[in-house]
Amino acid sequence: MSDSYGIDRREFVKAAVAIGGASALSACLDRGPEIDVPRGPEDPASAFPERQHAWNAALPTDDAGNNHHPRHRVLLPLSYGDGMPTDAERETVEAALAGLERAYERSAAGLLLTVSYSPYYFDRFDESLPESVDLPEPRALADFEDPDADDIDAIVHLASDHGEVVMGAEEALKGEVDELNGVSQPDASLTDVFTLGERRTGFIGDGLPAENQDVDGVPDDGPVPEDAPLYMGFESAFQGNQPGEDRVTIQSGPFAGGTTQQLSTLTLNLKQWYEQDSRDQRVSKMFCPHHASEGTVEGTGENLGTDPQMDDCGDPTETARSEGVVGHGQKMVDVREDDAPIILRRDFDSTDQDRAGVHFLSLQRTIEDFVTTREAMNGDDVASNSAVGQRTNNGILQYIDTVRRGNFLIPPRSLRALPPANPADDAAENAEVAHA
Amino acid sequence: MHKSRRAFLAGVGAAGAAGLAGCSGFELQSGNREPPLVENRPDGVYVPTHTEGMGMASMQSDGGYSCALTYSFPHRFWTITGSDTTMVEVGNSDALHLMPIVWHSETGIVPSDVNPTVDISRDGESVVDGLSPWPMLAQRMGFHFGDNVELPEQGEYDVTVSIGEGGNRRTGSLADAGAAEFEFTLDYQLSELNDLPFEDIPPARQGTLGAVQPMQMDMVPLMQAPTEDELPGTVRGTAESGDAQFVVTTIDDAGAFGDDADQQHLAVSAHTPYNRYPIPLMSLSATVTRDGETVFDGYLNEWQDGDLGIHYGALLDTVKEGDELTITVDSPPQVSRHEGYETAFLNMSDATLTL
Repeated sequence: MSDSYGIDRREFVKAAVAIGGASALSACLDRGPEIDVPRGPEDPASAFPERQHAWNAALPTDDAGNNHHPRHRVLLPLSYGDGMPTDAERETVEAALAGLERAYERSAAGLLLTVSYSPYYFDRFDESLPESVDLPEPRALADFEDPDADDIDAIVHLASDHGEVVMGAEEALKGEVDELNGVSQPDASLTDVFTLGERRTGFIGDGLPAENQDVDGVPDDGPVPEDAPLYMGFESAFQGNQPGEDRVTIQSGPFAGGTTQQLSTLTLNLKQWYEQDSRDQRVSKMFCPHHASEGTVEGTGENLGTDPQMDDCGDPTETARSEGVVGHGQKMVDVREDDAPIILRRDFDSTDQDRAGVHFLSLQRTIEDFVTTREAMNGDDVASNSAVGQRTNNGILQYIDTVRRGNFLIPPRSLRALPPANPADDAAENAEVAHA
Repeated sequence: MHKSRRAFLAGVGAAGAAGLAGCSGFELQSGNREPPLVENRPDGVYVPTHTEGMGMASMQSDGGYSCALTYSFPHRFWTITGSDTTMVEVGNSDALHLMPIVWHSETGIVPSDVNPTVDISRDGESVVDGLSPWPMLAQRMGFHFGDNVELPEQGEYDVTVSIGEGGNRRTGSLADAGAAEFEFTLDYQLSELNDLPFEDIPPARQGTLGAVQPMQMDMVPLMQAPTEDELPGTVRGTAESGDAQFVVTTIDDAGAFGDDADQQHLAVSAHTPYNRYPIPLMSLSATVTRDGETVFDGYLNEWQDGDLGIHYGALLDTVKEGDELTITVDSPPQVSRHEGYETAFLNMSDATLTL
């Protein structure tokens, strides 16, 4: 296969994921080459970890030791409507999800998935969520943002290196296919229980942003570097910049083994970023001025390996005072614990609505951990005490607009089908022990 | 049309995808007619090559603020990070230089501690989404926010300008102003844009030290720093650095700027020469020495105040006549510059004044 054919094919698959539907899937499959994805186990429940979000063990690492991020993503918002879930509905949801898991190996080449539930879903129950779960309704987290609340009940996150896999999984969840990867699918579908909202799609990984930069928010001359994994042109989720999954996992109570998921929809304005800033300005704002003046970052930053070397950046306020700019990464250093952030990033870029955006998806033990991290990113104190403005030269705040925020609970796998707000403690604890 | 979509549609010919296949429209001539930059620009405020008029969509008020949506020809400007400036040239698709001028209705202050956000749509379709324009300094307008924007075609656009809560260094009613949102209709017509005044400055004047006159607009206040006579408190004099003027005054009752009314507020009104525009977004610090002893050494923080305007200040126990004040510019103003300001306010040495 020639390179140009490869790129055409990659673009084609990504476009198919963005458009979705059975016709897109079949077009993709028709256009071949056939993908060869191993099937999953007969009994996923006994084979898969209790933590839905335990993806790292299923992900390869790149040459530098950073976890690979599955390249294609679909988020399926689900509305349950009024009323209380029944056991029959729980069985339907579980059956539909397990159908996917039998069809595709649980890996980046196969399929990784989570299903999560919002505070609006849990509101229907008489009981409250246990204290061990911190899941407030979403709110604005900066003075300058006014996001919509993501008030859907649940959301499924599908991830794979193969666009055909996330599309196939989506069609199966909708009950549109009888067979997936040669594995017959149950009659049960999510649409038996939920109403589907507007699907959200995206991608991450070297080459994909550059191939998909012909959208609003990116200048016409195609400035995104060919090898950049994200629209802003730099490596981002360095392994040294990610916590382990343990740090973001709920430790006690009925949802032990679960985690919280924060999901923001961000739009990007990269005309300013690429046409009105110099590379040094971009490096200063993304990393820190030290990295710009020292030439620490080459290209997309792949030379940094697993470590963005934030310790060299200095104190954010002191830098802002003396340099008139503070780096995005630099502002986040103070919220580290044991030299690692407290949120686990699983974000990806998007062309939804034909505009450059980010589905910023992060996992953390409590939503408060995300709030703490986001407040550090706001740099209010830095701005208040220096030449740095509310958004000007204040990391990358100027280029990002938060249009929607949502908070979700990713319950442990055994509670992933329409969980009650406060399941019996002992059952869940036993489950976590059994699968830890 | 998006390449990937084209590839996809070619492969599928699918129904359902047709709605996503909208073309991006055509590009208009931007009307850019800027003369070349002056050669050998001086390291200071200088007379630019030309002046431009300004149009206004309308003026709206909300939540203690007013906003005028104004525009001019797309034009070059300079962004700044630290002391490094980057010239932004007019892009082929740039339609306008758009300036959402937001001021506090009661005081006329254009606050420097909030960044407006601009959303533009046409027939319900988003054209510009969540743009955060640059803080800027221009010789005819002073401090404002603006950016060159691309519009796909002539016609009416819906423009929303929003600002959030201000910072924590505001006094009086400025501190009470909350978030605000303003809705405009902008009728972008090339013929109307081209009717705006555009005047070349005689070559002999271009590049000489000086500045063009401020522009007066109906309904829009021109924000200039107070004159020495207008400043409250005891005016101690004026120091200079990098072409900026630092007018120093002390306010005896510092209650509005901190908890302790017994302290004094040392205020530095930093402004441009000639047009007296306030210069925000600097890191300033100060030392005060008395008989060789340092009695103050700290930040001068940026404040928004109705009487002092945008200024930099610190709380001191007491200032005595004969105290030596040194103002240090830790970062030059991080405001983007219009022509004639881009070489000024960069190399800013210590400014000293005997109080």
